[in-house]
Amino acid sequence: MFTRGALLYIGQRLVLIVFTAVAVSSIVFLGVHRLPGDALLNERRPDPAAEAALLHYYHLDLPLAQQYVRYLTGILHGDLGESYVNRGVQITPLLLREARVSAEVGAAAIAFTIGLGVVLGVIAAVRQNTWVDYLATTTSVIGYSMPNFVIASLLFLLFGVFLYQWTGGAVYYNSGWTGSWGTLDQIIVPGFALGFPYASIVARLTRASMLEVIRQDYVRTARAKGLTARIVIIRHALRNALIPVVTILGPLVIGIVTGSVVIENIFGIPGLGKEFATSILNRDYNIVIGLFTFYAIIIALANLLVDLLYTVIDPRIRY
Amino acid sequence: MATAPGITEKFIEETLAHEQTSLWGDAWRRLRRNRLALASTVFLTLLILVAIVAQFWTPYTYYAEGIAPIYQGPSTQHLLGVDDFGRDILSRIMLGAQVSLKVGIGTQVIVIAVGVVVGLLAGFYRGFLDTIISTVINIFYGIPDLLVALTLVLLLGRSLGIIIFAIAFTQWMNMARLVRGQTLALREREFVEAARSGGAKANRIIFRHILPNALGPMIVQATIGVPMAILFEAFLSFLGLGVPPPTPSWGAMAADGFHAIRISPHIVLAPAIALSLTLMAFNFLGDGLRDALDPRQKR
Amino acid sequence: MSDLFVGKLRAVRPLAVMGAIGILVAACGGTSTANTGLAADQTLRFPSDSTIGSLDPAQINAETDVELYQNLFDGLLKFDDTLKAVPDIATKLPDISSDGLTYTFKLNPNAKFSNGHPVKASDFIYSFSRAAAEGQDAYGSNFDHVVGYDEVSTTKDWAHNQKMMSGMSAPDDHTLVIKLTSPWGVFNTELALSSAAQVVDPTVVNTDDTNWWATPATAVGTGPYKMVAYTPKQSIQFDAVANWWGSPQPTVQHVKIDFIGDMAQGVAKYEQGGYDLIGYGGMGSDTPIADIIRIKNDPVLSKQLKFVNKVRTIWVQYAFGRPDSVFKGDLESGPAHDLRMAFSLAIDRDQMVNVACANGITCSAATGGLITKGLKGYVGDNSDPLAKFDVTTAKALLKSGDPTGAKTAHLTYYYDPNKAIYKATAENVASQWKANLGITVSLQPVDHATFIKNYTHHQYNLFREGWQADYDHPQDWFDNLFIKAGGSNGGAYTDPKVEDLVAKADAEPVLDKAIPDYVAASKQMMADAAYAPLAYFKGEFLFKPYLQGAGSNNFNDFYWNEMKIGSH
Repeated sequence: MFTRGALLYIGQRLVLIVFTAVAVSSIVFLGVHRLPGDALLNERRPDPAAEAALLHYYHLDLPLAQQYVRYLTGILHGDLGESYVNRGVQITPLLLREARVSAEVGAAAIAFTIGLGVVLGVIAAVRQNTWVDYLATTTSVIGYSMPNFVIASLLFLLFGVFLYQWTGGAVYYNSGWTGSWGTLDQIIVPGFALGFPYASIVARLTRASMLEVIRQDYVRTARAKGLTARIVIIRHALRNALIPVVTILGPLVIGIVTGSVVIENIFGIPGLGKEFATSILNRDYNIVIGLFTFYAIIIALANLLVDLLYTVIDPRIRY
Repeated sequence: MATAPGITEKFIEETLAHEQTSLWGDAWRRLRRNRLALASTVFLTLLILVAIVAQFWTPYTYYAEGIAPIYQGPSTQHLLGVDDFGRDILSRIMLGAQVSLKVGIGTQVIVIAVGVVVGLLAGFYRGFLDTIISTVINIFYGIPDLLVALTLVLLLGRSLGIIIFAIAFTQWMNMARLVRGQTLALREREFVEAARSGGAKANRIIFRHILPNALGPMIVQATIGVPMAILFEAFLSFLGLGVPPPTPSWGAMAADGFHAIRISPHIVLAPAIALSLTLMAFNFLGDGLRDALDPRQKR
Repeated sequence: MSDLFVGKLRAVRPLAVMGAIGILVAACGGTSTANTGLAADQTLRFPSDSTIGSLDPAQINAETDVELYQNLFDGLLKFDDTLKAVPDIATKLPDISSDGLTYTFKLNPNAKFSNGHPVKASDFIYSFSRAAAEGQDAYGSNFDHVVGYDEVSTTKDWAHNQKMMSGMSAPDDHTLVIKLTSPWGVFNTELALSSAAQVVDPTVVNTDDTNWWATPATAVGTGPYKMVAYTPKQSIQFDAVANWWGSPQPTVQHVKIDFIGDMAQGVAKYEQGGYDLIGYGGMGSDTPIADIIRIKNDPVLSKQLKFVNKVRTIWVQYAFGRPDSVFKGDLESGPAHDLRMAFSLAIDRDQMVNVACANGITCSAATGGLITKGLKGYVGDNSDPLAKFDVTTAKALLKSGDPTGAKTAHLTYYYDPNKAIYKATAENVASQWKANLGITVSLQPVDHATFIKNYTHHQYNLFREGWQADYDHPQDWFDNLFIKAGGSNGGAYTDPKVEDLVAKADAEPVLDKAIPDYVAASKQMMADAAYAPLAYFKGEFLFKPYLQGAGSNNFNDFYWNEMKIGSH
């Protein structure tokens, strides 16, 4: 797989990613550009001298063009600046730490999405038009029709409150995050809440493409040759039916990024999503710009990964 | 006189006409047989009726606080109970339907207006214009939609109009891409070739030939876009950036009731169920329409 | 097909099992030590739903930070749990010269920083001057009566240009002399209260003037606790300082604070045994009402719930300075006065307290003026005519104030929804104005930071105002809120009668003699219908039964070094 052509392709894409990051940063920088001094946390008015000092500290008293150049140089060194609201907090290490947290929950969500989704989809396809199919299909429509915060609150109620009461404290869900890696129990429930709506979509896609593939000739040929049903499904049908699933990975990552804004808030997880929600409401513009930059890079990397995955799934595709 | 070319021409016209009407006729028949889609249509019609009625009458005024003890559950006087400020939930749900429908339909109006124009331009004229438009569409696909909408609402202010704009801003490219694809495909079909060779102008071709044929998928896309928009508004409200109070929006009601979920689950359940049922109805209807309009189906 | 089906299910099962295993059991921390009755693990854990703004005394002004720093730093004086000003690093209250201009403090020679450096009088000169220069948007202005303040406070880049206030001097290492420009009765109170009046170690601060407080190695103070770990926006931990110079010696060895998004999760985790208390750090008013109601009805938990009146009032403020305000002018009588009064009389505060504060759980009606009940200067229960509920008079006043209805047709009430009670009262008064007066006021929630900035810059005509007392002296309220020079006077309200009374009262060194003038000023404000009073706050706290010495008074939470964690 890692031919010279492939590496060249990857290299080109990475350069493109850097450009995208800078472009997104610039657009957001110019778009949300505002003054701070909004970082007051009680009712006292800042002294004009203090306001001026604050502006000077964040270099906001410079003309816009100059600020932009400063910002640009900073980005190319990986420095996203400092938070407006929490003085002294450097944004890049903050976002890197939170990205790791969100990545863990996101990975759990993707695992649920693909695992649950593919399984549901295959079952529904293989048992087409039976009650199993209808149940699976209806469940999946409900899955992506309910707002994820409703799913999340029900889960939190179930695992965090009722199970605790019913089992007298023996079993429960521990919200929040411990240390830098979190614990498995803290990742699973939010991961499930985040992934479930997309699992429903994946289930439908899998079902539809499985149905198409099953009807095709080469599958019939394989079965006629006497291969058992399971082998037929797994080796031939599933592999090809997964192509549309891989296609949806890009939008899936975007969906998880946006869904995490709500989910991380509900479950108290200190990740990028929670950071976005609080920074937007606090008007911590520096962090908002940094977040959009981060997200742009993450999404672009995800798309690159998807394109590379295509070569694995479909050997006809080569770069 | 019935000459050979004359008969052929007439035959072609009639077949084409038959093909078109029978497409819609078939679609309607198939839709009618899809029970879920039918039920959804009934539900949505009722919803629209409720929204209209709410403009003139609700059991209680939606803003009157303390008309029953706060957090009280469903009772004979208050069928869905009262919320954390003692306001009648049923009245607020009825008015919330207005907000949801306005958001859902309002966004799709903008999406159709922008998406169709852009898609048609890209698909019909191709070339450089298409490259630019397609690049823009691809860029928009790469952005996290909720985050951009949140930022727009924060910067521009919280009003129904701005929320509708912000949501449409992040959804228009679905319609644009669809219409572009349809236009690209349709422009190669024979009847378009025939029209062009007959000297028809671009407008005529677009409006009489391409647009009517793309109408089916466009309707499906719009029907599926409505629940996405309503869901979006629910997210915005949940995060505190939705329609400002005291206008009841289902998302805001769910967000407010979320904290009381252990003592008064009805406060969050009522809007959550309303949201879910409405979203499901639109989704089932959209699916039904898509299946019904799918020319590959034999039945 | 059946084996296929089972095969697929087998794939699903590990997920379910993983899920089940993944839900852990947590034991509550600490085993008991039979002899002392104290837990072996003396770790205090609690949540906060706001993050750290700064723990640099010169910069501290956020509620949470104010509660925290009291355990990390010391000043000359401090408040005890009954809110009396008592000596801290000073050995006794200062000697004040007969003209009230010179304060002499003797310092405790045992006082030292957590890094072992002894505290010298010159450290105070450094700390106060630095705060005066760098702390203009915090409490640096508390030193504005010190000789030399004007010059120092206008110094730019003080870190590289360290000017000291000339009115401060250190005859020896343990004597500090402060000269004032004029007699200032509240100076002792300000020294006790002010975060800016805490002493910092110059050698440490000089290494990094901006961020010394954020890293464990340089977060140095004289208090019984020091910061040992800080993950911004996630958690912070403090450990007891070994052999602390003061008393009582801390029993609690570690304090861990989590920054969470939503106090509802905090309460859930508290019930599961993950936290020892709820409400510390100024979070007493953020416990969700629904949880409080549920806990009140729970036989076991209700014993852990404590209510404390907090010294914060909120009210509806009108704009007196904006040209487009329909509320300006006509101080004691006239159409604008009638309009202001109409809005206030149309609010049934009993209903508001029942609905917006869950039957009086989180607030009480503000019927005795804006200075919170329990503080000096409180006018008296039911003494505020603006707090009455009188729909008939309100309607009549509305008619005289706005005969055509044009003035009140397009009003907007601005507020910040970051505290539930702000949102609750906003929606309640809007609904009452609509129901009782027939006026539709639209609501515009604005995010907290922008809201504060805007109203202190006089951007709004009708909005919620509020104030939390810094110390028990009416001067704190009037000088900031109700006179023209007030920095937080969002409505730009000013009445010459009030200005005179306040100026007279502020100059009076003996507080009890000044009170009648402050009360008269409050009554003048009532006559002017300057505001529509809403409510006094209450704080709700949850304390585990094994927690000893924890609590809160009207102003502050009790200090950590007074607490012990019993066995459980």
